[in-house]
Order: sequence, then C-alpha cells, then structure tokens
Amino acid sequence: MKCVLLAHSPLVEAAPSGLNICSHKYTKVRSEAPVLPRLATFRQAMPKALHIDPADYAKPGALAFPAVPVRTYARSLSEERKRRGDRTLRDVLRQMMVVREFESMLGAFKAKGAYQDIAYSYKGPAHLSIGQEAAAVGQALALQPGDHIFGSHRSHGEFIAKGLAAISRLAPDELTRIMAAHQGGALLRTVEKNLPSNSTEGLAENFLLLGLLAEIFMRANGFNAGMGGSMHAFFPPFGVYPNNAIVGASAGIATGAALWKKLSGDGGIAVANSGDGSTGCGPVWEAMNFAAMAQFCTLWDDGKKGAPPILFFFNNNFYAMGGQTIGETMGWDRLSRIAAAANPEAMHAETVDGGDPLAVADAVERKREILLRGDGPALLDVECYRSGGHSTTDANVYRSKEELAAWQAHDPIATFRAKLVEAGILTISDAEAMQEAARAQIRAVTAAAVDPSISPIVDIRAQPTLIGRLMFSNEQIAPPAGEAALLKAPEETARARQDAKKSRFGLTPEGEKLSPMRAITLRDALFEAILHHMRHDERLIAYGEECREWGGAFGVYRGLAEIMPYHRLFNSPISEAAIVATAVGYALEGGRALIELMYGDFIGRAGDEIFNQMAKWRAMSGGALKLPIVLRCSVGSKYGAQHSQDWSALVAHIPGLKVAYPATPYDAKGLLASALSSEDPVVFFESQRLYDVVEQFKPGGVPADYYRLPLGEPDVKRQGTDLTILTIGPSLYPALAAADALAAQSISVELIDARSLVPFNYEPVLNSLRKTGRILLVSEASERGGFAMTLAANIARFAFASLKAPPRVLGAPNWIVPGAEMETTYFPQIEDIVDAAMLEFFPERKAERRGIRNWNDLELARAGL
Amino acid sequence: MDVPIVMPQLGNEIEEAQVDEWLKAVGDEVGVGEPVLTITTPKLTMEIEAPASGRLKEIKVAAEELAAVDAVLGVIETE
Repeated sequence: MKCVLLAHSPLVEAAPSGLNICSHKYTKVRSEAPVLPRLATFRQAMPKALHIDPADYAKPGALAFPAVPVRTYARSLSEERKRRGDRTLRDVLRQMMVVREFESMLGAFKAKGAYQDIAYSYKGPAHLSIGQEAAAVGQALALQPGDHIFGSHRSHGEFIAKGLAAISRLAPDELTRIMAAHQGGALLRTVEKNLPSNSTEGLAENFLLLGLLAEIFMRANGFNAGMGGSMHAFFPPFGVYPNNAIVGASAGIATGAALWKKLSGDGGIAVANSGDGSTGCGPVWEAMNFAAMAQFCTLWDDGKKGAPPILFFFNNNFYAMGGQTIGETMGWDRLSRIAAAANPEAMHAETVDGGDPLAVADAVERKREILLRGDGPALLDVECYRSGGHSTTDANVYRSKEELAAWQAHDPIATFRAKLVEAGILTISDAEAMQEAARAQIRAVTAAAVDPSISPIVDIRAQPTLIGRLMFSNEQIAPPAGEAALLKAPEETARARQDAKKSRFGLTPEGEKLSPMRAITLRDALFEAILHHMRHDERLIAYGEECREWGGAFGVYRGLAEIMPYHRLFNSPISEAAIVATAVGYALEGGRALIELMYGDFIGRAGDEIFNQMAKWRAMSGGALKLPIVLRCSVGSKYGAQHSQDWSALVAHIPGLKVAYPATPYDAKGLLASALSSEDPVVFFESQRLYDVVEQFKPGGVPADYYRLPLGEPDVKRQGTDLTILTIGPSLYPALAAADALAAQSISVELIDARSLVPFNYEPVLNSLRKTGRILLVSEASERGGFAMTLAANIARFAFASLKAPPRVLGAPNWIVPGAEMETTYFPQIEDIVDAAMLEFFPERKAERRGIRNWNDLELARAGL
Repeated sequence: MDVPIVMPQLGNEIEEAQVDEWLKAVGDEVGVGEPVLTITTPKLTMEIEAPASGRLKEIKVAAEELAAVDAVLGVIETE
C-alpha cells in the first residue's frame, strides 16, 4: 500500500522568522520529550511535546490583558468615498432600507394582518431586527461571496444583506448559473415570470427576497422548500449558511465550518452571528475556546498551522429576552471584555458602533485579514439597538419610552442618510426615491410570496410522508480509496504487528474463548474500520477529549496518533457541545467527522447539538444538506449512576438520527464502516463491557478486509422454535447463556441481536415470531421509555396474529445505576432472562425464580419506579 | 540479590499482556524507576520501570510474547 509520509515537524522554540501565523504565542514549546520524575512503577507511554515546567508556574506576577478598543473608528466620510466610491455608499443606504422594509412588512402582517394593500395572516415567528440594519449591511460589505455567515433567530437582515452583497460581487453569468441550479431552476422561472427585471442583478435581488420570504411563509418554493422557515432559512451559494432558532447555536457550527475552510483550503472566513444574550450560553463559550485552542499553533503541522478563520460577531442590542445584559443578567460592562478569557490576544476583540455601517465594515475587514492569516479567532461586539420587541408578541414592558426615544436619535438609516445628503452623495429626493423603490420592491416580492398560485403551499395532504422522506439521504459514499498523508505506514505500528498475529475468530476448535490478546476484539474491529476510512479519506477528521496519545479512554484509537497528523486526529477540550457543534459545521460544509463522547451519559452536555442540530439540519434544509457525522458514545459500566446509563432511547427518539449498537466484533466493524460511509448522522453506541469480546458467532471470524454491514438490519444469532429473544447491545451475551440454560429445559430459543435501533427492519423479528409466537426483549436501558418498549409496542401491532403471549420487555429498573458491586442487581442477568422466559411464557412449567426480580411492576409504576 | 520484574495487574479483567519491547539488554545497568520495557494490554501501552537498581540479569519473556499477570518478565541482580 502506497502511503504519503509527512515529516513530523519538530516543534520549535520560536516560530521561523517571516512566518506570521502563530508567531506571537506559545513559544515555549519543547522539541524533546522532557525527563519527568517517576511517580509510579509504571506509567502510560504518552510522549508529549509540551512540557509543563513547575518552575515556569512558580513565579509571582500579574496577568496583563490587551487593551480592547472601544468605538475607535474615526475614518472621515471623504476617506470612505475615496475608498469605496459613492455608488457603494448609496447602495449601503439602499440595502439598509431594503432590510428595514422587509422587516417592517413582516411586522405589519403580525400586527395588523396587512402590509400596504396586501392582507395576509402570517402564523409563524417574526424576530425582527429593526434598528440593527447597519450591523448586517456593514458586515456584508466587508465579506466576499465565499465567506459564510451563520445566524440566529433574528437574522433576516444578515441574510438579505449578505445576499445583496454577494449579488453585487458575482458576475452576471455566475448569478444566472446559481439561480438556474437551485430547485432545477423553478424559483428562477417564477421570478422571471412574476418579478422580472431588466438586469441580472435586479433579477437576482428578487430571487433572493422571494426565496427568503417564501421560506419564511414556509412555501414549497422557499429556499429550503418550506422546511426551515423564518429562523432557519439559508442559501449557501450566496454564503448564507443556516440561521438557528437556538440562541448561540451558530457559534459552534460556524467554528466547525471555519475548520473545514482551513483544512480544505476552500478559503474565506466563517462568521457566527448571534446576540449579546448568547454570551450567557455555555456552548458559545465552548465554541470560542475551541476556536482559540493553542494546538493550532503549537502542535499542528506547518502546512496546517493557524486557527480556524472564525469571527464571533455579536449583534449587541442590549436585551436578552426580557433581561438587560449590561447591569442585570451578565457581569460584563462591555461585551468585548469576555474575549480576554479566551486567549492572550483577547480574540482581537473590539467594541464597534453598530449604528454606523462603515464602522462595522471597517472592523470586519480588519478582523477578516487577521483570520485569513491564521491568527484568529476574532470577536466583535457590535452595539446596536433593537427598536422593536424580541418578537411581535413582546409588549416592551421591560424598557421605557424615554429609552426608545433616545435611541431613535441614533437610528442607523436616518443617521447614514443624513450623512450622505450632507456630503452631497445623494439628494433628499434621491433618498426618498430610494426608499420608495425599496417599498415597491418588497411589495412586489410580498405579493408573489403570499399568492399560492406563485408560491405554492407545501401540500402534505397530497404527500403525507413528504417530510419523512427529507429526514435521511440514505446515501453512502463509495468505499474510500484515496491516499491521505500519513506520519507512518499503519503496517509499521506496534498495534498493527500485534493485531496481525491475532486470530480473526475468537473461539478455539474446542470452543474455548481466546483472550483479547490472542484474538481480534470488538475494539480492534472498530479500529480497523476507522483506520480504513482515515487513511483513504482526507476529508475525515476524528477528535474527542482523549483521542490522540491516549488512544481514546478505551483504547479504540490506540496507535492511530502514530499514523495520523494532528489536523486529522486531535484532542478536544472537555466541551461536548463544541465537539458535536463543530462536527455539524464541518460536515455541512463538505467534510466528514468522527467524534467521540467518552460516555453516553455525557450526551446531556451536548443535548442541543445532538438533538436539534445534528438531527435536524438535513430535513430543515429541505434535503439539501448532508451531515456525515459519526458520534461514537461508549455505554459505561462500574462507575455508577452518572457513567453507566444506556441513553440510546433518547437518541432514537429524536427524528433524524441513525442509531447503531453492535455487540460483536464482526457487526461492529461492518456497521461502523457503514456509519462512516453514511451521508446521514449516526450515533454509534459501544458497550464498555464489550470492547474485549472476541468474535464468537461469525464462522471464519472478523474479515481482515474492509466490508460494510447495512444499518438497520437485526441479525439472527441462533435459530430456535419456542421463544424469540431480541437483545439490544451487550444483553446479547447473557441472553446467549440463558438460551443455553433454557435449551436444557427443552425450550428452543431464537436469538436476535437488534444491532441498530434506527432504522430498524422488523421483518426478521416477524419471521421469527411466525415460528415461535413468543418474544422477550432484553436491554440494559431503564425499562420506562426504553427503546425495547418501542420495539415491543410495534411488534404487538405488526405480529398480533402470530403472538401466543404479549411481548415482554426485560430491562433495567427505573432507578439509578448502582456502583460496580451492585451492578448485577441492576442489569438483566442470565437468571433474570431465564426467569422472565420461564415465568412469563411457560408458567405451566412452574419454575422457581432464580433471580432477585420478585417485584410487582404495577406497584412500582404507581410509585414512579 | 535477584529482584524479579513482574507483569502488573493493569485492570480487573486483564489476564495477560504483551511485552512490546525491552529497552535494556541483558547485562545493562539499570537504576530504580528507570523504564526497562514496554508492555501492551488490549487498551494501553505502558512502560515498566525497574523495581531496583542493578544489572539486568535475565529476560524471561521476549519482545512480542504474551505473559500472564504476575508472570516474571525478567530479573535484576542487585549489588
């Protein structure tokens, strides 16, 4: 196998002269592994390039922080005229007017059910940005079409401004190509017919406004086929990436997008737009820290050095729902102060006058240069004022009329208009004509958006499963066959030599189990699938909290750090939300991400990112986005209540996630290969108790070559005729032993391993029930709401005619997982399975209960258990 | 006096591990706490350190061989 070897760059005392990237920081990097005092008789071999010298930290002193500029923009209008030209300055005013008119139209529909002469009842949300137009237009003025913005619930203005700016920069041919490519040209044809213009640029503006407004009205011709709506709309060809209804959620996603831009060489920057209120959100801090990780400078290879080009752009409108960020709900006095927490450069933060589009553009232009140099991340605190309420149901009871009036004097449009008039860049009548044109343009677009004959309503009644079909792409990439740059040929690693000596099958000819040192384990099988994808697909990156030198907490990645350069495999901060959110951004830009949460119990720390972001973006994009992410989660054992619970049902409950939970090495390798090939997000559960299991079912053992097993297919592990036992995850093994015990009582068990939770093909189970008529479902999850309950309920419907008894679920009780010593009283054991089988399905045998589960389920349910 | 270097118990379930590499040859001087060999369990690679100062007298389990927990991997002869 050919492989490209990278010379692992020696880490240097100081960056080479002439190289700007990272030259200013972290110069105390050692090139040699330090000699450390021995604290134990053995230690994990974990060679680190970064030496923590106690002497360095023992010195007294004081930390200094860089000064953060506050409203220092001072360029004169005459300079701006020279720099940008009068035409651009007039267009800045016009764009702000278009944004305001658009928002006013939505406000009018919400407040009065009518805008100009158009009556319409708009039922969806309208988080308007009236008063904040300069922030949006100023930002867009500084960005190129290839820069990508990610927004919030209040991002119509940013969307329009970025779109208008892109239209003004793209050549007519390119604009026509973009419009013709969207929805097979359907929206373009609609615009040509109903909103014609004598210029391509004019047509593209109407295309932009109608695509957005139809999306807000959730029409079929909206940019996202009506599946996104006001708070989720986007249109990538103009650099407008998903807006987000979850406050601050774009911070992590945009950071992942920036990582893709950096690694792929696509160019441009990513902008995370959010509000001042989002500085109270943990995931925003996680994202800023992730973007500021020192390793981009200290450890990544020369060609990949430098931070992801991400700008955190805070539209600071002083209100976070009903709370005031300054003086009430936050501790900072100026938002930009928070940047000092992230890194020694304080993220190059500045506070900017968000009422002046040119001040905003100037700041974004300067930050953009820093970011493209690899010296990010950057933060801008853009102070603006939301003249309207949070939403149209907000009665503004939390602020005074005096305050609203005071800010009226700083209205960005009136101020900028007066400035241009004063400088003679336009006349008052020009400005009025411009305002009238904006009004006419929005009226025409609105008329087309409310008219169902032009902007058709999504007809769910005609196609009841239409939304369902958008949930997954169900596509797989071809087996990866490229040659990624590697540090070392995988065959030369100690792990490869060790695994090569192992038996592929886990049993001796006499049926004795081999030790995990002598046969391929589930851990090794996972590694083989991962290694194949990592070495043959440069787009795939892997990260988590201990993925590199440590090799993952359970050794799945052991040896991979010898093979993969830092930018393909790295340690992340303890930031589950940022781990998942960055993967979402990285994947929706075109990358592929393999991420790890050490324990399934940590899913809660990444709840929004898994449940709202990873799961939903494909459908919310109308099927346009792909999210090739594999989230590996171990399911713990021995560590008690917060480290040992099976949360698979939570994940399976959320539409949009595929879920696998293999129990054998053969299945693990094949299913992980499928997951890594999937264009849809997959949550991949791995039981910690199974990492050492060897293959006991598949004759011939785990194939050494690459192969895939389809997600969603349960597997019959043993055939039988009297009772079907369907297991999820590690319950396969006690069920196998129970099947042996039941065979001794002349009960023939058919044993089926679910292998996947979503999707799930019921046919093998229904076929089995046609023989046995009885089914026991066993899993380690708490019974209430467990996925086995879902399976049981469906089986009761689908197999009703075959059933001799109701399906029975045997799971864990509805209380906390106890500590290691008590675990056998909690997770279903062999005797519990035998008891359930004998007592529930064969009561005539009058078997004695062997296990401890003599409780009354009805009474426990009444007690909340 | 002969001091044995033994395979440590690295986890409740681990019964054996592999000797990866001897960092010292027979006859080499070793100081207490100095790494003498590396071993690999299914999960981790570890260094084993000399339990005493002296001379590596004997290697009982060669590189890339498996050994059970508590097995004697080598012997150090002290002064």
